[in-house]
Amino acid sequence: MRVLVVEDEKKTASFIRKALQDAGFAADVCHNGNDALVAAQGTPFDAIILDIMLPGRDGLSVLRQLREAKNTTPVLLLSARGELDERVEGLNAGADDYLPKPFALVELAARVRALTRRGAGQSKSPLLHVGDLTLDTNTHQARRGEANFELTAREYRLLEFLMRSAGRICGRMAILEKVWDYDFDPGSNLVDVYIKRLREKIDAGFETKLFHTVRGMGYLMKEPP
Amino acid sequence: MRIRTRLTLWYAAVLAVSLLLISGSAYHELAEQMERSHKVQPIRHAVYEASEIIFHVGLPAIVLGLAGGWWLTRRTLRPLAELTKAAKGIDERTLSRPLPHSGNGDELDELAVVLNMTQARLHESFKRIHEFTLHASHELKTPLTVLRGELETALRDEDLPAAQRERALSQLDEVERLSKIVDGLALLTKADTGQVKLKKDAIELDELVRDIYADAIILAEPAGVKVDLAACDLITVMGNAHRLRQLLLNLADNAVKYNEAGGSISMELRRVKDTARFAIANTGPGISADLLPRVFDRFFRGDPAHSADADGCGLGLSIAQWIADAHGGTIQMESVPGKLTSVTLNLPIPSQVSV
Repeated sequence: MRVLVVEDEKKTASFIRKALQDAGFAADVCHNGNDALVAAQGTPFDAIILDIMLPGRDGLSVLRQLREAKNTTPVLLLSARGELDERVEGLNAGADDYLPKPFALVELAARVRALTRRGAGQSKSPLLHVGDLTLDTNTHQARRGEANFELTAREYRLLEFLMRSAGRICGRMAILEKVWDYDFDPGSNLVDVYIKRLREKIDAGFETKLFHTVRGMGYLMKEPP
Repeated sequence: MRIRTRLTLWYAAVLAVSLLLISGSAYHELAEQMERSHKVQPIRHAVYEASEIIFHVGLPAIVLGLAGGWWLTRRTLRPLAELTKAAKGIDERTLSRPLPHSGNGDELDELAVVLNMTQARLHESFKRIHEFTLHASHELKTPLTVLRGELETALRDEDLPAAQRERALSQLDEVERLSKIVDGLALLTKADTGQVKLKKDAIELDELVRDIYADAIILAEPAGVKVDLAACDLITVMGNAHRLRQLLLNLADNAVKYNEAGGSISMELRRVKDTARFAIANTGPGISADLLPRVFDRFFRGDPAHSADADGCGLGLSIAQWIADAHGGTIQMESVPGKLTSVTLNLPIPSQVSV
């Protein structure tokens, strides 16, 4: 998997590249819009991370140019403005996702992963498994060993999201967006409180813990090694 | 005393003095004439004639003159009254609207033109302040992104000693807080200059309230705070679901944060005529009456002792107020310190969706 990073701020470009490499991607970096256009048209990338504010040709213009040339590479826009209007404008111009600065690197990696997986298709089975926990996406029933868990609608959505991303850190923003439909930080510790409840329900009576907190970054569910 | 009254009084005085002078000279004239013709009891007749002239001609003339003066001053001063009315409506948002002026080049017109120039300069200054805040918040985001990225990259290193890890994590928390402040500030500044357009749809407010009620129960549980929803009328309003949700969650969050252990929260949504009224009340220390008018101010912290543990960015209620404003609504807080603090949100119910 090869990703093109277009970001004029050198330090930002450098740690984005590092984070992507840690996540198993190969990353190329461009510092301006014109170089990006040349690179994207010459090389088949699996995804492009595109900053909107660029010297010379800005990100949206690069994006429009690419889409006009029938280039369908998934594009994740980065922006320091972080406004709803801009998000809509970006998506209309053909972007696949949008991330306001400052962002968490786990958030970025997760989104790039989702972009490159898009189209690859997800498993059709209605059952999700993490360790000995099973979630039936048809009946919304969660089971672990002999225990059945009653889940509220919100708890179900949260558990489903975490289980589908099993093994990867889910940032607080990603959870808010996927489970609560917030596309901004409401400045509440809702997520933490809900996770705590899920934990009490599902992990409390068991030796092996499935929920893990990665402080400063988010949460993850993973099978015991 | 108003200018109009003063001018009229002066005018009356001038009229009265001129009347006295005229009647004095009329008396002299009459007295002389009568002395020449009759020579009998001339004085009494002259006085009688003169006073008759004063009563029958002079007084009505004064009354007419006064009425005319009153009308004239009123007419002259009308532009001033209009100017006063328009100037009363000036605030930060209407600064760009010029005051009315006749364009006839008189003194009042000149005054209006000068006031307009002053207003334009003020508008320019305000605009520069807003632009500055907006630019500052955008400029801050780049270094914040770098800081955050560097910290996260450092934390990825498995060999990072525990003490350093702890320090990096605490720095990450602060970076996050700073980011929230910068975001909130940018949002409010844009709202001030009317740059945020909210897309509005028909929203089932009762559903939103029930959602927030469910979240509030969860948020309040760790503190042992009970939450109840006393009423939830079915109400549809025109609004932006994201922003209204943000507003309600912010109020619920505050009701939990500023509560006391074992306290309670009560919510209700009621239809009052053409208004949707959402009220949320919580037990807890509350806010003293002198600080109450400032709770919606930016970066306002009620009690310094309580600001340390509450991790908000100090902009939550300012944002809540902006959201209420943007929906044509109002928001108020009342508090009986030590007992109950309540926030009431009123949103208009548009006639076309209020079935």
